Amino acid sequence: MGKIMTRMGSGFPVEMSESQLMEDLSAGTEDAADRGKIPPLSKEELKYLFDLFTSTDRFLSVETGKEIVLSYDAAPLKLMRTAVDVHRIQSLQIYEKLLGADTLELGHVDYSFKPVKPIVSTEQTVLEQSLLVTHPPLFYGAMPNLGLYSQPDGPFPNPSELMPLGKIAAARDAYEKAVEDAVKDIVYVSSAMYESGADGINMDTTGAAGDADFLAALRATEILKQKYPDVCIEVGMAGEFILGLHGELDYNGNRLAGMYVHDQVKMAEKAGVTIFGPVVNMKSTRSCPWNLSRAITFTKACCEVASIPIHVNMGMGVGGVPLTNHPPVDITSRASKAMVEICRLDGL
Amino acid sequence: MEKTEWFQKAVQTILDTDEDAAKEIAAKSLEAGMDPLEMINQGFTEGIRKMGDLFERGEVFLPGLIVASEAMTAAVEILEAALPAEKQQEKKGVIVLGTVEGDIHDIGKGIIATMLRVHGYEVHDIGRDVPIEKFIEKAKAVNADVIGSSAMMTTTQIGQRKLEQALKNAGMRDKVITMVGGAVATDHWAQRIGSDFFGESPKDTIMKLEEFLK
Repeated sequence: MGKIMTRMGSGFPVEMSESQLMEDLSAGTEDAADRGKIPPLSKEELKYLFDLFTSTDRFLSVETGKEIVLSYDAAPLKLMRTAVDVHRIQSLQIYEKLLGADTLELGHVDYSFKPVKPIVSTEQTVLEQSLLVTHPPLFYGAMPNLGLYSQPDGPFPNPSELMPLGKIAAARDAYEKAVEDAVKDIVYVSSAMYESGADGINMDTTGAAGDADFLAALRATEILKQKYPDVCIEVGMAGEFILGLHGELDYNGNRLAGMYVHDQVKMAEKAGVTIFGPVVNMKSTRSCPWNLSRAITFTKACCEVASIPIHVNMGMGVGGVPLTNHPPVDITSRASKAMVEICRLDGL
Repeated sequence: MEKTEWFQKAVQTILDTDEDAAKEIAAKSLEAGMDPLEMINQGFTEGIRKMGDLFERGEVFLPGLIVASEAMTAAVEILEAALPAEKQQEKKGVIVLGTVEGDIHDIGKGIIATMLRVHGYEVHDIGRDVPIEKFIEKAKAVNADVIGSSAMMTTTQIGQRKLEQALKNAGMRDKVITMVGGAVATDHWAQRIGSDFFGESPKDTIMKLEEFLK
């Protein structure tokens, strides 16, 4: 066989030989296994990935009958990004009627719970109108985004400034206070949207600001589930491991910092999360085969221990999909097929 | 004690984030006739490099990294005092680091700043949401060797390109190394805008920077 056309994690096209391809697939799974202390992919699974990447088909998909749920986060914002002049409600209709979405998500352009709080009544109006013209389950989504609680955007001292000065106790205190405020905001906004008819709440990009960010999402979930036992809560993550910016925060006695996806999902289950969305970030300087093999290894370990549905994040820079505004279909379809068939996912 | 044992002990004090032990090993190694420069480079610097690797794997957390860097600084001060003036280590380079205007993300940039400092660079972190002019003013003021810009979003990434153009307009582009970072940056982006390199992670940034500054 001649050279195999594939891509770097940045999306840039690259050619590989068969041996280079297999080396990258093996190295990717070994990297994940080493970091996560989880099993690497088997020889059969690597051969399966090898066959996917050597296929000359531009687009690949799962066999008929093996399709899974296709959900989207921040859907209305993604059309805006491409400069398509369309209102959020129309975006949702496009996702439902043209893009095959099985769930929808309404979100504000700021996409964080804190800035939505003072305008929640206007968001409730948009949600109500959206519900009237769409059919799939409609989530309301935003990020915990603990960065917004530090000065100058929030009331608390900025840990990113305190930490380099060696003021570790003060930085940790600021994170802990931010958690308390973030939980209040998440619960306030989520309650308002749920009571207005949202079918679920999505806490997206959780953990982006480290262990405190994840803790805020878990605590908010606990409160929401106590208030509304039937509420569907999806938690989508920010990365394959929780950055330890505080370092000592725990949930039910488990330290959150450094947790990889297979441990993250267990915390989510304890908090009452309904759907978990693991994320494995791309290394743009490594090939897509390396990245996909790595992402599948982490995700498979997560699926194997999960007792709640797993909807893995696949898109710009996550889940084996290149870091480009418009992910190329050759890799996106290969990554999606492989994730579904190896990891036995519940949804994308 | 063999040289390698001294180096291993120095590494261990950093991994243990034990400042007192680091100072003690530094002082005792001098009494034992160890070369202070070797102790710095093969002992304490190696320790902080290992801490950086562990941080990137999620096995060490930011506060631990900060404490380890303080332990290293304290030990290196003792060793440097024993060096003749001509051998005392100069800063590897002066870096101005900031997040471009319109972008308020500073966690990753702060981590890079910390890692660069512990690897011997003089870092001027000018914060987030920083106007292009401020990058240039600061670089002139501190006679920077390197300007690093961070952008976390596609909507703010354009600031990194504007910075390149502004440096050319100011006649400074050939006098500094520029590096870009952030969730949406890639090698390809760095090439497209004329930046010298893309730093994917703290380790990647430090390795590439050391190549450029050779």
